[in-house]
Amino acid sequence: MLKNYLKVAFKVFLRRKFFTFISLFAISFTLIILMVATALFDNVFAPQPPEDKADRSLYVMGIRLQGPESQSTGPAGYVFLERYVRTLPNVEKVSLYTTPNVVYSFWKGGKIKSFLKRTDGEFWQIMGFQFLEGGPFTVEDEKSANFVAVINEATRRKFFGDESAVGKMIEADGQQFRVVGVVGNVPIFRINPFSDIWVPISTSKTNAYKSQLLRGEFQAAILAKSSADLPGIKSEFESRLPGVEFPDKREFNTAIGGADTMFEFASRMMIPSQQMESQPRKLLAIIISLMVLFMILPTVNLININVSRILERASEIGVRKAFGASSWTLVGQFVTENVLLTLIGGVLGFFGSQFVLKLIADSGLIPYAEFHLNYRFFVYGLLTALFFGLFSGVYPAWKMSRLNPVQALKGAGGSR
Amino acid sequence: MTKHLLKLVWNRKRINFLITVEIFFSFVVLFGVVLAAVYYVDNYNQPLGFTYENVWRVAVEMNERAEGSHSSQNTQTDLNAPKEPTEEADPPAAATFKQLMAAAKEFSEVESVATGTVSPYGDGTDTSAIGDDSNLIRYGVNLVSDDYPQVLGLTLTRGRWFGKEDDGANYRPVVINEKLSRDVFGELDPLGKELRRPNLPPKQEEEKSTPMRVVGVINEFRKDGEYTAPENFLFQRQLLNNQMRREPNCLMLKVRPGTTAEFEEKVIKRLQAVAKDWSFEIEPVTKMRETANTFRLAPLIAGGLVAGFLMLMVAMGLTGVLWQNVTQRTKEIGLRRAKGATARRIHKQILAELVIIATFGLIFGVAAVVQFPLLDVIGDINSRVFSLSIVISLAVIYALTVICGLYPSWMATKVQPAEALHYE
Amino acid sequence: MIQLEGIEKVYRTERIETVALTNINLAVNEGEFISIMGPSGSGKSTLLNVIGLLDVPTGGKVALNSKPVTSYSDRNLARVRNEEIGFVFQTFHLINDLSVVDNVEIPLLYRKGISSGERRKLALRALDRVGLHARVHHFPGQLSGGQQQRVAIARAIVGNPRILLADEPTGNLDSQMGDEIMDVLRGLKENEKTTVVMVTHDPRQAEKTERVVRLFDGRQVS
Repeated sequence: MLKNYLKVAFKVFLRRKFFTFISLFAISFTLIILMVATALFDNVFAPQPPEDKADRSLYVMGIRLQGPESQSTGPAGYVFLERYVRTLPNVEKVSLYTTPNVVYSFWKGGKIKSFLKRTDGEFWQIMGFQFLEGGPFTVEDEKSANFVAVINEATRRKFFGDESAVGKMIEADGQQFRVVGVVGNVPIFRINPFSDIWVPISTSKTNAYKSQLLRGEFQAAILAKSSADLPGIKSEFESRLPGVEFPDKREFNTAIGGADTMFEFASRMMIPSQQMESQPRKLLAIIISLMVLFMILPTVNLININVSRILERASEIGVRKAFGASSWTLVGQFVTENVLLTLIGGVLGFFGSQFVLKLIADSGLIPYAEFHLNYRFFVYGLLTALFFGLFSGVYPAWKMSRLNPVQALKGAGGSR
Repeated sequence: MTKHLLKLVWNRKRINFLITVEIFFSFVVLFGVVLAAVYYVDNYNQPLGFTYENVWRVAVEMNERAEGSHSSQNTQTDLNAPKEPTEEADPPAAATFKQLMAAAKEFSEVESVATGTVSPYGDGTDTSAIGDDSNLIRYGVNLVSDDYPQVLGLTLTRGRWFGKEDDGANYRPVVINEKLSRDVFGELDPLGKELRRPNLPPKQEEEKSTPMRVVGVINEFRKDGEYTAPENFLFQRQLLNNQMRREPNCLMLKVRPGTTAEFEEKVIKRLQAVAKDWSFEIEPVTKMRETANTFRLAPLIAGGLVAGFLMLMVAMGLTGVLWQNVTQRTKEIGLRRAKGATARRIHKQILAELVIIATFGLIFGVAAVVQFPLLDVIGDINSRVFSLSIVISLAVIYALTVICGLYPSWMATKVQPAEALHYE
Repeated sequence: MIQLEGIEKVYRTERIETVALTNINLAVNEGEFISIMGPSGSGKSTLLNVIGLLDVPTGGKVALNSKPVTSYSDRNLARVRNEEIGFVFQTFHLINDLSVVDNVEIPLLYRKGISSGERRKLALRALDRVGLHARVHHFPGQLSGGQQQRVAIARAIVGNPRILLADEPTGNLDSQMGDEIMDVLRGLKENEKTTVVMVTHDPRQAEKTERVVRLFDGRQVS
């Protein structure tokens, strides 16, 4: 029977090429957009290497200072983080690192532009980088200001071509570093680990960073012992903010910020609010409503086409009933048609998403972008398409098949 | 005739309802994208206020930044020690900046040099505000040295730029843009007037600063480029002496046309020689503009593509549904033909029905989007851009529905009267 | 073969009740060719649909082959329609998306244990019996009205039903084509002993049948 259903379904698709095309287009297009959006989202937020311990990590990525006349928002100062973050209780490890800076290397007559991040040794213990060769620099390296560097794959290529890099010297921003490790490229949206070159903080040109008080160029990653400790760490950090000392209260007198997950931090930055609050639920609600808003149109379109096709096939339903199809047989037929159409649309959407993601990655708009299809969301998308396909294609057909065939033959349930 | 059509549309309300819903959502989605596009185009057509050709920015990282306005002079800052910015020798940073500017000017390729605290198309912004809480006027700030207008080709509409004549004055000379002048002074002449925060206690105000006095007005300075909305802007005079309130963070170089990228290395090496501990990053402003505009346009382009595909999908769906409608109504159409309606008339009737259905959807659509400003969903978009976007979106949707209706209605005209009887 | 006892059919909507059939008693013998006549709205099509189990009467009993089918489930009704009854409609009701031979195969699709090759063979034989050998891979839209009705008849007889129900089979055809269709129907009755019940309002065609049942306002008048 299923073979028959499939055969008939294919025949219907081929005869009604235009409708089939529209349905397939709608399903696969919707899936592609959904997949690309979730892949972009995952690229920023999902716990994946090097941030593989994201489930028990928090970040202090920036603070806002407010005063009577002005405010200043950005990365925090070294002293601030040492004083208020490094000392947090219930914490396994804390790492301080700078935001990446653009630096130039004049190398073999050419100029190489890279991002350089200065980090402490704990950085490599919190982030799970995958080393292609060598290894990280250590807490000891940072303490004794050894001029060592970890570089990424792309930088190794720029400096040394296909050769191995460990043990060789590179020049960056007028300083010489010995390469100790090479890691895979990290996408720029992984704001915390991202860079091309990583070197110890203590190799800074001056030790002026040690006097950066509140605002500066440092961020901190906090690794808790377990994810259950996160809320406690967050509230402890926030309770410390009112006690922050200000050098000049006429300039700034309030510090705002928090120890956040990446998503919480994004909600702070993206939803405008006076106190720069963390509103992850609101951000999630905004994202979901945008997605729903986007999906409404394809859905209405799909329903429209399906209803219209079923109405057109009213007489067919009547005929099939007259010649011995039971209501269930007919429902089986329409379910098969819809499932088949959705699956074909799903396959097209699957390959389409791969193609679009590759297109975005190759466009170079996002350095080192690395997209992975989120299979969970792919299945969700497919199920949604299936649901609406069945709802809009099978439900009217079922209702019509329950109608007595006479009315179906007349094309009733039809135009009005 | 209209009444007849309305009746027809109403009687087929179930299928028409779905079309109406589809048109409603199409309109809302399209409007969102059109609004963004119109907003960008509108901004693009307004004067930028500066020229970016042959201007290079050298970002300067002193590697010894500390707090806010009084900073930099000492590397071991004691949190509680009060600072006295005046009656000191020139801070070393100020001296270094002077040397850097002099070093850059030595190159024959460099026409003029100035310092700034924010750079056109740069990442940082610096804003301040005047007025009281009920009428707070925000503006962008840039502390620049006296040669800044030459480097970026700024043109004054009134007054003068600040310069040597302001040395030792008991006010801080500022140049504002016309928009800020309008917002603060209305139609009054701003020249010579002071800008101050009225709600600050006079004593504190005095302590804090000498007043800002407007010495000139420029037409515009849109730091973030041509796609952003014009905003209030204010230039303050950068002093490189013991009065320095804040260090510059970039040097702006106006280079001779035709200067190539190789020159970048020469400049950096020279500057590095002056300040060994500092870091420099050099980039032509044209390149920064490209990057900034790419990132600004990317979401619009992505949104536009998505909306375009959505519209294509809707158009095809609509054509399919209408086609199906026509086939189902062969009998009715044939009867009309039999009763003497011309092909042209049928054509018109089908399209008119469609326009009526579309109008229903669009009425709700417009009603929905006019809620946006009320609900504060979108920021400061002026009503001209808003209404123009509505008009464009309406036109596009109407055009789309009519185009989708053309083929089906043309098919309807092919229905022969005989077919009507055939189906009777 | 067919027994109807006290058949009533009332259509109820929210406000009005329309009586379509009142107290119809009818028995059709095996191999009989009868016609049902009456003016528009007299209930003749409703009666045919009741006989064909397409419509459930509001009162009375229907028996086919002395089996009471009135209380059958949807599934069983479908099986009876499939095995015992063939339909021919005024407007043919061919599925435009399927080719002629695929249309004819439809009743066999809903019968268990027939391979696709067998289906094809039976369908072609049925088409042969109605005099359509060529054009079997055309689509209905490419055929004339008479040809379409032949396809519809082939579809009705492909499963060898004992009963053929025809609702104004000649109503959409000119008289020559109508005569041809009548010949096909008569041939079936004669060669296969198929019971044929035909609704018509054309007295000329009714004359060609063995018995005429007349309806007026839902009542049997002769």
